[in-house]
Amino acid sequence: MHISEGVLSAPVLLTGAALAAAGISVGLKKMDPEKIPQVAVLSSAFFVASLIHVPIGPSSVHLILNGINGLLLGWLCFPSILVALALQAILFQFGGITVLGINTANMALPGVICYYLFGKLVNRERRLISLAAAFSCGFLAVFLSGILVALSLLFTEQPFMSVAKLIVVAHLPVMIIEGIITLFCVAFLMRVKPELLRGIHGKGS
Amino acid sequence: MEKGHSIRISLAILMLASILVISFNPPALAHKVIVFAWAEGDTVFTESKFSGGKKATGARVLVFDSKGEQLLEGKTDNRGEFTFKIPRLTDLRIVLDAGMGHKAEWTIPESEILEARGVLDKKRSAEPSQPLAAGLSKEEIKEIVEDSLDRKLRPIVRMLADSQSKGPSVNEIVGGIGYIFGLMGVALYFRNRGKKKH
Repeated sequence: MHISEGVLSAPVLLTGAALAAAGISVGLKKMDPEKIPQVAVLSSAFFVASLIHVPIGPSSVHLILNGINGLLLGWLCFPSILVALALQAILFQFGGITVLGINTANMALPGVICYYLFGKLVNRERRLISLAAAFSCGFLAVFLSGILVALSLLFTEQPFMSVAKLIVVAHLPVMIIEGIITLFCVAFLMRVKPELLRGIHGKGS
Repeated sequence: MEKGHSIRISLAILMLASILVISFNPPALAHKVIVFAWAEGDTVFTESKFSGGKKATGARVLVFDSKGEQLLEGKTDNRGEFTFKIPRLTDLRIVLDAGMGHKAEWTIPESEILEARGVLDKKRSAEPSQPLAAGLSKEEIKEIVEDSLDRKLRPIVRMLADSQSKGPSVNEIVGGIGYIFGLMGVALYFRNRGKKKH
């Protein structure tokens, strides 16, 4: 879902960069020293995830892991994803430096949205609810990223609906897989470290 | 205590991701599109694929001249290939648009086209070839050599096209992770230094 260089016009790039800058400044403000290692690890996971190719469907799609990034990091997923995307651009030539802002916004914003949507639900007493919330978090984050990518392409690739449909359909397997990954992560955390999940809406996150 | 735990858990996530990479995906596959083009005679061949080797099928190919004027447009076939006759002697900028924001380009300079064409023109002018008897002129030998080199090198050009689409290597992957942890160290250093001052 990386948008390549030279596809988007300057206004779209600038809007993306502004959104990303705003998100990153919020994220940096909220970053406690205790959170830094966690941000680094999730950033690495995001960095590596783009290499996991899902060989289903007509296009070339890969894992994104923005759902779990958002769920565990909240606003901190902005800096986390920025760093990972910058390194992907430099080392793998995915995306690029000029599109870094818009790509960061497209990936991190859904993470933050999912954090607010599902952060509390994940902590529900009933296991079924929290696991369903975890799955939806992973699923929805990728879906929203697809919609945002289609929105960014609105001014270059004309019909929004068909582009959005194309992206969403191509990423359907990824959404399901990410939902399952998020579910397993949450299930694992519930067993070994429920405080981490409870801390999702605590101070400093 | 909490810090140690959350790091351990995050590390588990990272490990899971790394294991997935290694087990599912021996040649690292990824999200980038590449177009590679070369001229042969009066035809240009293009090959398009996603990094990792999946062919970019049904993708739009646009051809521009040196002034940025669009010369022609086509679609890649189900092998990710698209060929066209050279419309005009100029630098050809070939832009691949694989949709969903994936774009790549490749430029064939005028000199390369001239060269590819030159061989053809010479061949045509020398069509009624004399039986190769005694003395071959220098020109004729050159022409023959160029012609057969063209044919012999074709598979190598293709191999080159394939190697263009190699995914990231282990070095780059590990290097990237290293960078992230280096940044973490820097961030922690500055945060902790700020704390001590207070």
